[in-house]
Amino acid sequence: MKMKHLLLLAGIAMAAISCDRLLEFEPGDVILAEDAIQDTDDLQRLLVSTYDVLANLYGGRVQIINELRGPNFGAPDNSLDFTAVYNRETTFFTGINGGAYTDFYYAIYRSNVLIENFQFVTDLTATDELRLEAEARFVRAICHWGAVKIYARPYGYTPDNSHPGVPLRLESSQDPLPRAPVGAVYTAIVEDLNFALQNLPATNGVYATQHAARAYLAQIHFLMGDYALAASYASSIIESGDFTLDEDLDRFETDMINTETVFGIVSQPNDFRSSWFRDNLRSDNTSSPQLAFSEDFAFFMSLSGAGDARSQWYTSGTRALCNRFNNKEYFNIPLAHLTLMHLIRAEALAETGLELSTAIADINAIRDRAYGPGNFILPESATAEEIRDAARDEFRKETAGEGHWTDQLLRRGTMGEDILIRDASWDCPGMSLQFSNSENTVDGFVLNEEGGCL
Amino acid sequence: MRLKSILLLLILSSPLIGFGQTLSGTIVDAQGNPLPSASVIVDGTDGQFAGMDGSFSLSLSKGSHQVSFSFIGYLTQKRSVDIQNTSIEWSIVLEEDAVMIEDVVVVGYGVQRKKEVTGSIVQVSAKQITGIQTPSFEAALQGQAAGVQVSQSSGVAGSASLIRVRGVASVSAAGDPLYVIDGIPITQEYFLRGNSGAFNNNPLASINPNDIESVEILKDAAATGIYGSRGANGVILITTKRGRKGTSFEFSTRAGFGIPATRPNMMDTESYLTLRQEAWENDGGTGYVWLPNLTSSSDDPLTRKEAYLQALQTNTNWVDETTGLGTKGNVNFGVRHGGYRYNLYAGVSQDNNGSYLLGNSYNRSSARVNFDWTPKPWAKVILSSSLSRGQNNRIDAAWSGGLGDAMSNALPYYPVRYLEDQVDANGTVTNEAGEYFLWFDEWGTTKNPVAVRELKQWKNTEDRSINNAQLVLTPLKDLHVKLSGGFDYMHLKEDLFNPGALSITSDLGSANRNANYVLNWNYSATADYLLELDDTQTLNFLVGSEFQRTDNYGYGLFYGQVDGPIFENDSLSDDAANVNRTVNLPSQHSFLSYFGRVNYALKDRYFVQATARVDGSSRFGRESRYGFFPSLSAGWVISDESWFSSRHVNFLKFRTSIGLTGNAALPDYARFGTYSPANNGNTYAGDSILYPIQPENPFLRWETSRTVDASVEMGLWQDRVTLELAGYHKYSTDVLMNVSTPASTGFTNFWDNVGTILNRGVEFSIKSRNLTGDLQWNTDLNIARNYNELINIGNYTPDAVSGGTNDSRVIVGRPVGSFYLVEHSHVDPETGLPVYLDLDGNETYEYSNDIRKYVGDGLPDVIGGMNNTFRYKNWDLSGLATFSIGAKIFDSSAKRQLGVVTGWNMREEKLDRWRQPGDEATYPRLTLDETTYSLPSGFPWWNTSLFIYDASYIRLRNVTLGFTVPLPPGSTMSACRIALNATNLLTITNFPGLDPEVVRDFENAQDRNMSPNVTYLTPPQERAITLSISTTF
Repeated sequence: MKMKHLLLLAGIAMAAISCDRLLEFEPGDVILAEDAIQDTDDLQRLLVSTYDVLANLYGGRVQIINELRGPNFGAPDNSLDFTAVYNRETTFFTGINGGAYTDFYYAIYRSNVLIENFQFVTDLTATDELRLEAEARFVRAICHWGAVKIYARPYGYTPDNSHPGVPLRLESSQDPLPRAPVGAVYTAIVEDLNFALQNLPATNGVYATQHAARAYLAQIHFLMGDYALAASYASSIIESGDFTLDEDLDRFETDMINTETVFGIVSQPNDFRSSWFRDNLRSDNTSSPQLAFSEDFAFFMSLSGAGDARSQWYTSGTRALCNRFNNKEYFNIPLAHLTLMHLIRAEALAETGLELSTAIADINAIRDRAYGPGNFILPESATAEEIRDAARDEFRKETAGEGHWTDQLLRRGTMGEDILIRDASWDCPGMSLQFSNSENTVDGFVLNEEGGCL
Repeated sequence: MRLKSILLLLILSSPLIGFGQTLSGTIVDAQGNPLPSASVIVDGTDGQFAGMDGSFSLSLSKGSHQVSFSFIGYLTQKRSVDIQNTSIEWSIVLEEDAVMIEDVVVVGYGVQRKKEVTGSIVQVSAKQITGIQTPSFEAALQGQAAGVQVSQSSGVAGSASLIRVRGVASVSAAGDPLYVIDGIPITQEYFLRGNSGAFNNNPLASINPNDIESVEILKDAAATGIYGSRGANGVILITTKRGRKGTSFEFSTRAGFGIPATRPNMMDTESYLTLRQEAWENDGGTGYVWLPNLTSSSDDPLTRKEAYLQALQTNTNWVDETTGLGTKGNVNFGVRHGGYRYNLYAGVSQDNNGSYLLGNSYNRSSARVNFDWTPKPWAKVILSSSLSRGQNNRIDAAWSGGLGDAMSNALPYYPVRYLEDQVDANGTVTNEAGEYFLWFDEWGTTKNPVAVRELKQWKNTEDRSINNAQLVLTPLKDLHVKLSGGFDYMHLKEDLFNPGALSITSDLGSANRNANYVLNWNYSATADYLLELDDTQTLNFLVGSEFQRTDNYGYGLFYGQVDGPIFENDSLSDDAANVNRTVNLPSQHSFLSYFGRVNYALKDRYFVQATARVDGSSRFGRESRYGFFPSLSAGWVISDESWFSSRHVNFLKFRTSIGLTGNAALPDYARFGTYSPANNGNTYAGDSILYPIQPENPFLRWETSRTVDASVEMGLWQDRVTLELAGYHKYSTDVLMNVSTPASTGFTNFWDNVGTILNRGVEFSIKSRNLTGDLQWNTDLNIARNYNELINIGNYTPDAVSGGTNDSRVIVGRPVGSFYLVEHSHVDPETGLPVYLDLDGNETYEYSNDIRKYVGDGLPDVIGGMNNTFRYKNWDLSGLATFSIGAKIFDSSAKRQLGVVTGWNMREEKLDRWRQPGDEATYPRLTLDETTYSLPSGFPWWNTSLFIYDASYIRLRNVTLGFTVPLPPGSTMSACRIALNATNLLTITNFPGLDPEVVRDFENAQDRNMSPNVTYLTPPQERAITLSISTTF
């Protein structure tokens, strides 16, 4: 009888609730990873998300970081993060460098996932697969390049480029990776861009095209000192006839893609991708924007006099504020553009000593626009050195605020020039920003040396 | 106790014959409060229950009789009476039973005689909870139980305390104990609104302390094992009041005020400007120093001078502008009624708790109905239901503003309002006299704590209803089947209106509403059976199953460019320029559990208990979903042995236990790899995007603690003194951590079972009736020592898990949440520069993150409380002192208040700074340039051990003077007590900051575990004085 009681009580209790299904819940407002990529559309949307990250990076943030490391910008108004970059004293507690680093690898991870998921999508055509992989590798390449330029010593810092670069992520993995040598990173970048060049479409809306790959290859080979290749890729774009110099000197246009733009960021009224420029540089937003040109840059610009139309890009006074983005709430941002190609080709040819007339024409095309036709033109008799110097002058002016100049100084430093950036040697440790704190959470990752540039 | 009650009922039901005269009187406690329904038994056979006023009346036959008086929680009193021809009237005063070995305590899914309990359980009575003015009931548990660390909440009304039972055993998963009200594990989500305004939601604030009958704190595995899934950090069982025989009414009211327990010592204008000028000159500056929000370093000397002299004309005490007198009022009314086969308790309460932070209050309206019905001898229905609304009139606090601004960016030369019209260079009036003076802090936020308080409209409303229905069936003798269903509903709504007047750039404001709904269902079925093997052996079986499901969802509304609060006028939303609506789909989790318990008792002195619980959690994948949590414990009442004989020791018990408990308090979907929703609304260049959100970890499993516990309980001199000594060893493995992973993986965080944590300690408690008689003096003392160590974190570094912005990290060999900072050595007397110590202990001027190290932790070595109660006739005086020894506090705001001279005001300690060679000063030479201290540019956060302080303290937590009003015979009132209560009258500490006991605002559960004793502009606790009257009639 007592045993019956025990059985009865056990039965009552256990029977009341018994169902493992009661423990099955899945998040309702997101998609499970295994369900996320079902068809080509999903792949396309994942691809667009890599551009989305690019837009968050290059909507002014990376450009500002690069300018702050260099000589073009003066001391920030009071932003602690900007000041840390400006003084080249970032630590892994500084938010701006950690945030940008994280974003570079968001895009890289997504690119890798995209490539690895082709096998699970049944409606994917061979054409689409090639195009998607080409775009993914294009994004992966320019993000690796963006990261290695900011967080590592420049290409050429060591003869064999064995100095530590950044983690090279060519497949998705949650395993920690050490820093790959800079040479290996650049090799992978070039491979990705070559693949992209072979497989990207000639036209692709606002997204990457063959010309975009060429434009980046031109820039990258230029920094690597492969001047012939750089000039060759730049020529391909210049000679294509698909792009024309914008006569009004305004490449940052609202609601339209500028005629110079080979590849760029699209900013729309609902997303304000260009807000880093707008919020920190516009002289008409506030009397004291965070950022302004340096005295050194203002002096440099003043040398060419008021006849230079680019003098309108900054204000006079002790703190030269930036006018370049005034009266614009949002605007598209060219990352690779025709002016850049002209100037890269000019300097690259000057470095090689070949086709100097082409180089002179490149410079004069820029000067014609800046000073008016025929003014300040570089004579046909200009030497390679004069062409190079002229190209550098125009490069610094034309790309003011676009974040390219610091890389050029570092390149020249690796080539043996005595480059000082705000009284510090080009290779002072703090020029490489510190990594994100999250890289320091696993034993073995080598962080950058901090400071040493003041 | 249950057997005695049954016996008593049987006795009462028998006819009483052969009466002579009457023995009558009242039964009261030491304070004169009647003890309703106390039992009176004559000669072991006759008896009755006292009335609601404690009165009794017995007709006894002539001759001698033995009369015993008893009541739960009080020592039984036996008296002889010789009945002749006259009636006799007695006033019986029962003394509290410190041990209550015959009393019952609430355990998981039942009750047990305390004598039989083999686990570690501490009972806290209603009086201990309601006798003290606290922001929320759980704060009143401080100092009441050994090994239970209760850190009081800040001065913000309605804010939450931090409770840790026997140390910290979790890192990223919630480390709070499980709260169970009348059998229902309740919703205890502290971060429904994140850290909005430097305030965490307090899920316990809506609970009315006056509804609570008792609280049991379960500490070891034997006690918590039956709640295996979530018992790793202890269990707090709350039992609410129920009806009882007769009818009685309870009315109480309280009124008082609160002020800050301490005040920040911020500098006035003259001091601030003097030190700022000195810093400027130390840095090589000439002329007058530039002043934040008036001038900049690039201004010419004349402009700087004029601004300096102008600044001297204003001296605003921003602390005075943000603090004041908080008023408090509380009214409770309750009725207890017991009728034929039913009991009823109903109570309503209104509590208005204004904090000393101007504009801040928490008002709670609540009602409860508890109803018991026994329609058949074999069936009982138990219903419990509460309804409450808590309204928090919000202010910004700490880093968000208010007093936090007064302690940081509100400089004394800033006026509250412009005293005269401001004109620009063109003669245009830019600001009229009387307008608020607004400024930007270093993050670009518009500031002025007075303007913000007066213009910003902000309130949180929490509607809460906790309900439980139980059906108890007794189909067979000694078999009880209980079916229970509970529903805990929480609706938290935050409404905010930021007017345009607080914006420097816009005339219109913005309005937000964020709402969260948490629905928590609980079903359980248990059956217990008492099997009497023979006269000396019993077995008690309990088996059961339980299912709990929680849905958490909500929505958010943002209206831009509106000129009024949407929550008061919905039509305003029609004109809003930007409207953003977000819907948070349900986040759901569930637990499915099967459990059993067997209690074996031999000769009423040997007790063995085994529990087992299998828990399944939806938060884990199929491979690791279920956890098994067994426990085994034993108790031996040595004093009941025939061979035991002592004139001094009347009770001696040894008990021990071992068991496993678990923790699954991690986010609901941490194990899933997830992508953004299909229609997430995010686009680039007009094209929709899809992106990964978090990585998958299908191997997530239960965090498990293995606890070994042993204790000795002793009663001396007939329980005049009782004491307990306990020790425990708790080893937690698979500790859940939300580790920071290398960003190059594409993610920055990842949930994993990584850590191992050790907690071990000893606890001692003693209760002593030092004086008896007219003057009574009782002392309760408890003291506990806990050792906490993080044993292992795999191949991660200390930075893998951090306590938000609090510089606490995971360091192997150190306690959870240790402070990880650069060690400060001293100020160089020659240069005035700070000297640091590198990892090898060598002195260096170089500040570097590479030389961060363990410099202390916030976990105390020893905690405890001592309560002394004196009673003389109708007067009683009690004082509760709590203490904490060995913890360090990181004064995180001091690194700005006492560091580099910036746009923050400074504390007066800063006057002890280096000024010239030879000076031996606490603080280095003043500077406006962080690089002077070798800090990185743009980083004025001087994170050094200089701001690690000893947080040991002893605090006079509570003093109560009470008077029990003598009532005339026949009074309709059966009890009336008036009490004057004061909290936080005195704190003895070496901590130079505001408050050595701090619970700051936290970012998440991990921060709550990792950052005890970090203060960052945290408002100090309040000192409250209240007068209360409580009556029963």
